[in-house]
Amino acid sequence: MSLPTSPYCTIGPFFPGEFADGCGDLTSRDGKQARGQHILLTGSVVEEGNRPIRNAIVEIWQPDANGVFRHPLDPRFEDADPGFFGWGRARTDAEGRYAFRTVMPGAYATQDGAPRCPHLNLMVLAIGLTHRLVTTVFFGDGAQPASDPLLDCVADPARRARMFAIHDKLSNGADALPAYRFDIVTRGEAETPFFVD
Amino acid sequence: MRGQPPIPLPETIQVEYEPYQESTQLARYIQDYPRSFTRNPSQPLIRRPLTLSERTGPIALERRLAIDGEDISSKEPGGPRAIGQFIAVTGRVMDEDGAPLARAVIEIWQANSAGKYVHELDRHQAPIDSNFTGLGRFVTGAEGQYKFLSIKPGAYPVMESDWWWRPPHIHFSIFGPSWMNRYVTQIFFPGEPLNETDLLLNAVQDPEARDRLIFETTPTTVGAVNLLTFRRDFVLRGKRSTPALD
Repeated sequence: MSLPTSPYCTIGPFFPGEFADGCGDLTSRDGKQARGQHILLTGSVVEEGNRPIRNAIVEIWQPDANGVFRHPLDPRFEDADPGFFGWGRARTDAEGRYAFRTVMPGAYATQDGAPRCPHLNLMVLAIGLTHRLVTTVFFGDGAQPASDPLLDCVADPARRARMFAIHDKLSNGADALPAYRFDIVTRGEAETPFFVD
Repeated sequence: MRGQPPIPLPETIQVEYEPYQESTQLARYIQDYPRSFTRNPSQPLIRRPLTLSERTGPIALERRLAIDGEDISSKEPGGPRAIGQFIAVTGRVMDEDGAPLARAVIEIWQANSAGKYVHELDRHQAPIDSNFTGLGRFVTGAEGQYKFLSIKPGAYPVMESDWWWRPPHIHFSIFGPSWMNRYVTQIFFPGEPLNETDLLLNAVQDPEARDRLIFETTPTTVGAVNLLTFRRDFVLRGKRSTPALD
C-alpha cells in the first residue's frame, strides 16, 4: 500500500527573487572552480503569442564535464568534480530572459553501455502552471544523427530540433565564454517538447 | 545542523517513479484562471524512459543554499516579532512508502498578516511589516521532520480578477533526493471561508486529495511559549517497495 502523493501547485506571481540570487552560476563549489568548458546558457521563456513570462523559475540539473552526476546513484559518484554541484536556478526578467553560467555537460555511457549525448535536465515553474514543465536540453545544432534515449522519444524532426541549445556567439564579457541559446516556448507554434512527469 | 550527527546521504537504492495521478493533483486547465490556458503546452506531453539523469538530483543542497533558523517570525533572533497570529508549522517529508526523506531542503514564502508579500510585483495596497520577510529555508531531520515558527498569512486580492481573493496560504518548495521528486505547492489553513471559492485549492477534484493541501490543526497548549501549531506532512513521489497483493 503506497501513500498518495501530495498535490503540486503553482508558484504564483511572487516567487522570491532572493531564492534565485546567486543560483544561476554553477561554475564553482566550495571555493573550487568547475572543470571543463564553462558556458553561458541563456534564453527566454514565452507563452502563447510569444509573450514573455516574467518571474518564471527555470531550474537545471546536469552531470559535470566528465558526465558524472553528484549523486550516490551514479556509479562514478566518487569521481564527481569537487568544483561542480550540478544544480542551478534562474528567474526570468520582464522580457522573460534567464541566464546560467555552467559547464558543458559531459557525455557518458549507461550501465548497459548505451551512449548518452551531452544534456541537462530543465524544469519551468510559473504562475498559470499548476505543475512544473520538464524537458531535456541537448547541445549542438540537431543536424548530426544523435541517438539518445530521451531524444529518441521525440519523433518529429522539427520538435526534436527544439530540444537543442544553439551555439550562439562568443559572449561580450571579458572572459568571452561560448554562449548557447535555449528558448522555452511553453505554448505556441514553436512549442518546446515537454515530457510526461 | 551544528552539533547534530550528520545524516547520511540517500541510499543507492533504485526507486520507482510513476507519473503523477491526475485524480490526486490539480487540474492543469482552470476556468477563470486565464494563464493556465496560455501557458500549458498545447501538444501532448511525451512519454520518456527514466534514466540515471532523471533518477539523480541535487542532494546536500543545504551546503549550497543558506539555511535559516527555525523562527522566521522576526528578522533577527530575539528581535521584534512581526504583527499577526504567532504560529508553528511542522510535519514530515516522506516518500510513497512512508519512508522519511532526510536532508530535504524546504523553502517557504508567504504574505504577511495583512496579505502583503515583500515582492516587487505585489501591487496590493496593504502594509509591509518591517519585521517580516515571509521567506524561510529549512532542512528536514533524520526522520524527515521539519518545523518553523512564523505568523499566519493574510488573505489578498488577485489584482487581475474582479472577485478572487486568495485565502491564507504558505508556499512550499521541497527538494527530494531526485529530480523526479522536486515538489512545489501551496498549503491552506483549515476553516477559512475563502477556501470555498479558491480556484487553485478547488482545482483538486478528489476531496481527500484536496485535504492534503490544508494544514491539520493540533491540540492547543498554553505554556511558556504560546503559539498555534499547524501540521502538514508531504508525500513526495517515489517508492522502493513492491505493493503487496490484496
